[in-house]
Amino acid sequence: MGAKARSPWLLFGMKPSRGVLATGVASLRALPEPIRIRAAKPMPEEKDTMTKFIIRRFLSLIPTMFVIITLSFFLIRFAPGGPFSGEKNLPEQVIQNMLKKYHMDEPLGKQYLRYFGDVLRGDFGPSLRYKDSTVNELINRAFPVSIVLGSTALVIACVLGILAGITSALKQNKWQDYSAMALAVVGISVPLFVIGPLLQLAFAMKLKVFPVAGWINGRAGMAAIVLPAITLALPYFAYIARLSRASILEVLRADYVRTARAKGLTESVVIAKHVLKGALLPVVSFLGPSFAGIITGSLVVESTFAIPGVGRIFVQSALNRDYPLIMAEVIILSLLLVMLNFVVDIVYGFLDPRIAYK
Amino acid sequence: MKRILTVLFALMAVTAMLFTSCAPKELTADKADFIMSNGAEPTIDPSLLNDVASTNVGLGLFEGLMQYDPNTNKGVPALAESYTVSPDGLVVTFKLRKANWSDGHALTSADFVYGMKRILDPATAAEYAYMPGMVLKGAEDFTAGKGSFDAVGIKALDPQTVQYTLTGPAPYFVDMTCHNAFWPLPQWAIEKSGNEWTKPANIVTNGPYTLKEWKPQDYIFMVKNPKYWDAKNVKLRGIKILASDNDSTNYNMFKNGEVDWMHGISNSKIDEIKLRKDYQASAQVATYYYEFNVVRKPVDNVLVRKALSAAIDKQTLVDKVTKGGQIPTAAMVPPMAGYTPQQGQAFNAEEGKKLLAQAGYPNGKGFPVLTIVYNTNEGHKAIAEYVQQQWKNNLNINVVLKNMEFKTLIELRAKQHDFTVARAGWVGDYLDPNTMLDMFITGSGNNDGQYANPAYDKLIQDARLAKGADRMDMLQKAEAILMGDAVIIPFYHYSNQDLVDTAKWGGWNATPLGFHPFKYIFKK
Amino acid sequence: MSPNKNQAVNEFNQQVKAVSLWADAWKRLRKNRMALIGLWIVVIFAVISIFAPLLPLLDYTGQEMHFTNMPPSFRTAGEVALTQVDKRVAQIEALVAQGRDDLKPELEKVKTEYAAIRGEVQTNPGSKNVYILGTDYLGRDLLSRTIYGGRISMLIGLIGTITAIIIGVIYGAIAGYVGGRTDNLMMRIVDIIYGLPYVMIVIILLAIFSREGSSSIFILFIAIAAVSWLTEARVVRGQIISLKNAEFVEAAKSMGAGTGRIIFRHLLPNTLGVIIIFATLSIPSFIMNESFLSFLGLGVSAPLASWGTLVSEGVQGMELYPWRLLVPATAMTIFLFAMNFLGDGLRDALDPQSKNRT
Repeated sequence: MGAKARSPWLLFGMKPSRGVLATGVASLRALPEPIRIRAAKPMPEEKDTMTKFIIRRFLSLIPTMFVIITLSFFLIRFAPGGPFSGEKNLPEQVIQNMLKKYHMDEPLGKQYLRYFGDVLRGDFGPSLRYKDSTVNELINRAFPVSIVLGSTALVIACVLGILAGITSALKQNKWQDYSAMALAVVGISVPLFVIGPLLQLAFAMKLKVFPVAGWINGRAGMAAIVLPAITLALPYFAYIARLSRASILEVLRADYVRTARAKGLTESVVIAKHVLKGALLPVVSFLGPSFAGIITGSLVVESTFAIPGVGRIFVQSALNRDYPLIMAEVIILSLLLVMLNFVVDIVYGFLDPRIAYK
Repeated sequence: MKRILTVLFALMAVTAMLFTSCAPKELTADKADFIMSNGAEPTIDPSLLNDVASTNVGLGLFEGLMQYDPNTNKGVPALAESYTVSPDGLVVTFKLRKANWSDGHALTSADFVYGMKRILDPATAAEYAYMPGMVLKGAEDFTAGKGSFDAVGIKALDPQTVQYTLTGPAPYFVDMTCHNAFWPLPQWAIEKSGNEWTKPANIVTNGPYTLKEWKPQDYIFMVKNPKYWDAKNVKLRGIKILASDNDSTNYNMFKNGEVDWMHGISNSKIDEIKLRKDYQASAQVATYYYEFNVVRKPVDNVLVRKALSAAIDKQTLVDKVTKGGQIPTAAMVPPMAGYTPQQGQAFNAEEGKKLLAQAGYPNGKGFPVLTIVYNTNEGHKAIAEYVQQQWKNNLNINVVLKNMEFKTLIELRAKQHDFTVARAGWVGDYLDPNTMLDMFITGSGNNDGQYANPAYDKLIQDARLAKGADRMDMLQKAEAILMGDAVIIPFYHYSNQDLVDTAKWGGWNATPLGFHPFKYIFKK
Repeated sequence: MSPNKNQAVNEFNQQVKAVSLWADAWKRLRKNRMALIGLWIVVIFAVISIFAPLLPLLDYTGQEMHFTNMPPSFRTAGEVALTQVDKRVAQIEALVAQGRDDLKPELEKVKTEYAAIRGEVQTNPGSKNVYILGTDYLGRDLLSRTIYGGRISMLIGLIGTITAIIIGVIYGAIAGYVGGRTDNLMMRIVDIIYGLPYVMIVIILLAIFSREGSSSIFILFIAIAAVSWLTEARVVRGQIISLKNAEFVEAAKSMGAGTGRIIFRHLLPNTLGVIIIFATLSIPSFIMNESFLSFLGLGVSAPLASWGTLVSEGVQGMELYPWRLLVPATAMTIFLFAMNFLGDGLRDALDPQSKNRT
């Protein structure tokens, strides 16, 4: 892993550095040697540190998840109102029966142990709101939908966002830059609950090219994914475009890029091989948590386009005080998040060999 | 650039193929004759369902002794061929017609007994256990875990006869058997599949339709049940019921012809929708009101409450703010056959001022800042803002509005009684004034405002044992007391608002309870 | 740090006059036209919000039930209302002529309304009001509602951004620079905060701290601030990690600079670009987050409304009353555009690489 992480840079024969930026140390730039020495560290040792880092980093996920699950389990019970309260108050006896059915009459500590045991076995318990289903059933059916929609949106956002970022960085302060960035600002300042209905109005009601709502298992087939995916992608596109523009601008001025240019490499090779790699770091650290966010669904998009994903049931679970479903959301979202952040930390090593795993 | 675009489309295509290959083509639901937008994800199990969306579905799949008449929503015999009520009104005996379940099992009185046992059983923990609990002898005790089921007033006299014994001569009992709490259930199917019994593969139904497909959060697809006793009068072959909860989206689908019937209309579009010929609005047995916490200053003073009631112009509220065919009112009970709603304080700004002065606050002087709490919702907010302005203009008092999410409001209002003025709404469970009145008796679980008046309690309690015009008279007197004490400010009776083209679809009529059994709907 | 404390050098090792970072940045910002326009817009918005009570505006709470949902116009309310009702009468009459007898009662109602407004024009001083940006569903002036809404939304954006920058930058920088166990622990804490069920926590906070009659705006600020810094911290940490082994840091170290000095004087200035971009990108999400939190009961209570709530109200009826969406949405978008261009300008101006460049 360590070797792989480093090799591209060695191939280019460049010192991997962002260059000397701070004031007053410009003279150091003439001295590339120390860096070469660092880059030429013996491989096995580095490989070892890398493996150790990965293992240690991975093990830290366990206490993290434990703390999240435990804290959440007790916290959510403090919220006012219970799963069985409504406009009509139920007779005390009926409430008692419900509490008993779901073991909610037991002491909280005992409930917690029971819950933890169930979760370790992969059982999230019954849903208190969707009474025909268990939480596992709900998630098994709704999660794939959100994953498909979220990944499609993220692919669109990434590809278009990075393209827009490159374009505006290369044409800084020209009309291409301004229009790409204006689009990005629109994408992030107009909320989803406006964009969704607007797209629906334009493409489903007026032009009638896409269905108003529904999922791809319906009559409309794949056409159903277009509007929700675009809606969901827009803010992510905006983020990615702006972030990549900013960091590309920085990398463009780095000496290793200058070196590459000086070597007479064509502009596109420089961009694709050298600039992008260094410039994608902030994008990657943004993508980690957002990937978790985007595939766990969006209430607004799913509601606007009537998509049977997890976003709606997750947000409503809090309002319904559907404790098992809230916990399932917490667990899935945070598991995804810590795993993705873990992956991001590893990917950092590939994208930027300057990072030392200590 | 071009290459990247190609990659993008290739990726999208791959995702697409992945998905289509693992999801079988759903041709059946696409061929539905009738598509309804239900507004929420339903619960199917009749013992557990507890909302309108679920009832809509349940009325297609199951049937009780009586069925809601599609025009009036009064009960009409369904599985009951006939029924007799004993002279004292305490014993009701139903004779069943010959009918079968969708798996061919004969439907017998034992299925009704089992259905009742299941909903009352503490282990089922059914919300609507309280419904039979109100009327059926021994039901409340059995749900409380006291006594055996044998003590509950339901008996299968023979396979075709089922008899109910009541706690009092509830005249609305026969109509009540339309309700899901009284439906028969297939014991063998439920015991075989347990919690899975409502899945399309396992479910056994006795209604005009059976469950063909269920995509949670997406749609339900029901097809005609050939074993249904009245199958020849069931016209629609397949019905698709969407779970979409977004009013704007549902309306767009309706406009595009993707939906035939939708319920729930966004207030912001009412000016346009109102002019559509497929817009249906009808009075509902439900009241929108503000309730006072009658033990809290300054609304512990009946004069203050009356002043506040008198200072709201409800006609303008309904004409200009809610605009959806609601009926402005000063009474809690909506108009019903044989009952005259008792009107409380009418709108009269001058009188309101006088009352407030009598209470010791001339021209609002010295009146504390009043807080109205309501649950967050476009419509509730507009009404609260309107009321705030009315009280400011007519009484010169300052009002603060406080919104919160629904469950927090309920906790505050019903459990902690920590409010001064709170928004509330009550939907009647059955067509009888009692459903709107008995919650105001002292100590009732729904008496959030802590109203206590022995005279009122006595009238409601006496009415439980009375019959006919006497009973109605008692209830009217009770309502008169309630309104005289100005315990609540009723604003309007809700209206059911639906979009359905009745020129195209027959058997759909505006009804007071808002039930439209699919059985009767047909294409003209 | 610099070879000679009194003499700064540019990248060509030429001696230049030492200028403070801020003076230098301001000089460069002044030359950036887009950034200046952005700055001016932000200043104008700020001035209008601060002095809103002094402006000759109509009362933002003042309801005129005869003048609801009126389009933007320079004519008096009475005139506009008459035209509007006239149109409605014509519309309904046309439908009745097509055989829609069911609309006759509605037609009568609207005609009565017409007469009522004629009366109003004579008696009600409100009919002389001019609603240049139209009215909302209760006949309130949209201009003043938008201006007052901007106060709360801009404040939210400001508070969110400031906490995000202060906490996020410090936290991320320390985690990234110190590295090792500390980094792991600090970032796992971020994961945990991210993983906890936010909606439930807000509901609990509200239940604990919000009493009848008290304003919940302070809790709103806490709720926004509590999560605003998480992503910023991750991004800053990533940047610091990739920079901390750069030559200029080693140079600074070798010259005896302390940790604090290295972080704040050397590392952070080099990550300013991404920090600022991220901060400006997050403003819209704070503003929209406020409108979701106000659903839970946090923040300003009706009849005061923020941009977020105005927009979400407007979107419902956007086909019938487009101005109810467009007015607040445009105000918000202009502000966000300005903030973004200002942010870009600041980024360029504060970029250490362009120091002393003219």
